[in-house]
Amino acid sequence: MKRLIGTIAVLFLFLIFAFFRSTDQAKKNQTPTVGILQLTSHPALDEIHRGIIAALKEEGFISGKNIKIDFQNAQNDQSNLKSMSQRFENEDAAVMIGIATPAAQSLANTTKTTPIVMGAISDPIGAGLVKDLKHPGGNITGVQHKEPIALQLQLIKTIMPELKTIGVLHTSSDDSSAAEVKEFSQLAQKTGIKVKEYTITSTNDIQQVSATMASNVQAIYIPNDNTVASGFQTVLKNANQNKIPIFPSTSEMTRQGGLATVSVSQYELGKMTGKMTAAILKGKDPADMAIEYPTKGTTYLNQKQAQQLGIDLPNELVTQISKKGVVIK
Amino acid sequence: MNLIVSAIGQGLLWGILGLGLYLTFRILKFPDMTVEGTFPFGACVCVSLITQGTSPFIATLASFGAGLLTGFLTGILYTKGKIPILLAGILVMTGIYSINLRVLGKATVGLLNQNTLLNTGMLRELPNSFPSVTLGLILLTLLILLLALFLNTDLGQAFIATGDNKLMARSLGINTDNMEILGLMISNGLIGLCGGLIAQNDGYADVNMGVGTIVIGLAAIIIGEVAFGELSLTARLVAVILGSIFYRFVLLIVLKLGFSTNDFKLLSSLILALCLMLPVLEKKFNFSKTLKKGVQKP
Repeated sequence: MKRLIGTIAVLFLFLIFAFFRSTDQAKKNQTPTVGILQLTSHPALDEIHRGIIAALKEEGFISGKNIKIDFQNAQNDQSNLKSMSQRFENEDAAVMIGIATPAAQSLANTTKTTPIVMGAISDPIGAGLVKDLKHPGGNITGVQHKEPIALQLQLIKTIMPELKTIGVLHTSSDDSSAAEVKEFSQLAQKTGIKVKEYTITSTNDIQQVSATMASNVQAIYIPNDNTVASGFQTVLKNANQNKIPIFPSTSEMTRQGGLATVSVSQYELGKMTGKMTAAILKGKDPADMAIEYPTKGTTYLNQKQAQQLGIDLPNELVTQISKKGVVIK
Repeated sequence: MNLIVSAIGQGLLWGILGLGLYLTFRILKFPDMTVEGTFPFGACVCVSLITQGTSPFIATLASFGAGLLTGFLTGILYTKGKIPILLAGILVMTGIYSINLRVLGKATVGLLNQNTLLNTGMLRELPNSFPSVTLGLILLTLLILLLALFLNTDLGQAFIATGDNKLMARSLGINTDNMEILGLMISNGLIGLCGGLIAQNDGYADVNMGVGTIVIGLAAIIIGEVAFGELSLTARLVAVILGSIFYRFVLLIVLKLGFSTNDFKLLSSLILALCLMLPVLEKKFNFSKTLKKGVQKP
């Protein structure tokens, strides 16, 4: 009992002390700190991180020399995000970067003054991070992750002009992939393709859902969805059994057995994020920096997969892609 | 400095989860897995009400109500449906996931530029992290007072008796089924409330935010017990809160020591496992006795 009361007393004394300390404190770091907060370890997110570091280096900001980079990975633990954001605030970071939506939201909640750069967020307005993409106005700006869906659909039409129904597979709890699916469906319906939507809640559902889907559609479209990406081999197995092609949204899945895609690389997105960060470090105000997004993509074609499925590709297309894009043999 | 204050604030708010879990884990003596569904449920209800313009105070109350509901469901499944408690909890937890998605409309909803309990009235004027500390202190004082009062009523004593010995309680004419449902409801109500508060403190609700919450609650209880030992019931509730704060300190130290964040989950588990084994280890090696002997015979 004594110990209990003692502990409470110590905590209270500390709080009172901290309260008066925090009212009059001012400190400045010599080397500016860039805080990078990443939601979890994931190849796509790690690529963004790599791109940021590379772009900062290109702009003359080298970690350990003229800036300090504090990289924190929350390992998908929501309560870690908060304490890590606070850590940046406490370090008096010059710029904070949030990779993945929850990370950016957590940062945005911690500070209303320190500049925040969003590292590839698919829906900055929907996530409540900014009110206007062109004139953010506050302390937040960054890069929006938008796959060139219209270009992807165009590619699908070129490869399969006869396509009538396409199945779409995504995770119900993933807002960004849901947004892509919505855009894809609207565009596809305009061109007369029927879209059948299939959702999963975790990787456990992939086998059953994708097997059902593969027997009901002529082709499969997969948005940028981390959960589906993890179980991509299962989808591929079911699609191959039914001899139908998969059009994924990312180059990674195309390499693994998707047929073709137009995609922006995560690394490029990271570089764009890094460039914006560098601009802020050089004195630009995030309020005046419009949200950037990639305007073109690289075309990827998996020729091996096309042969396996017995799909005749127009020669014109193959030569065009081998010149400008990537052909996987 | 600010980090420690922030840790205390978070510890206080998470302490409410510890209190809720204490009622089922220690008093009723069964593991209630509903927690991992109730916590995000409270958060989702609270956030979706706030974004629709409800006052944060009512939204927070609603998150308590949401918890009461899930507790009631688990209780009915367990007592009337005769489903083992572990399963009943897991069933409700799994089912709630879909409900959470519906309530929230999508996976994550932020509270940016919205009114929350932590930025209304006086609390807004306080320096960084102090709003959560103040709110936590006020709420916990109130909750512990109410819990202590409740546990000392006839009803509360009957509730404790049910946990101690169900057969004996029944022979005394206590309706143990009702007591267990009541306990689950109050427990989950507190957990839902905690979810609502954490969502407001962190600034968003996410359908996946329940993962690992049961470990956080257990850590608070165990650390509190290991650190403060034998106490009266009310003091034990206070110890749970302190345990919750200590757990945050431990995490803070792990972060500060510069451990790779990849090892974070493993370290939290190790620390908790160590705390859980401490009573056994102490018995086996007689730490305290050897220490005393050492003092007596130099």
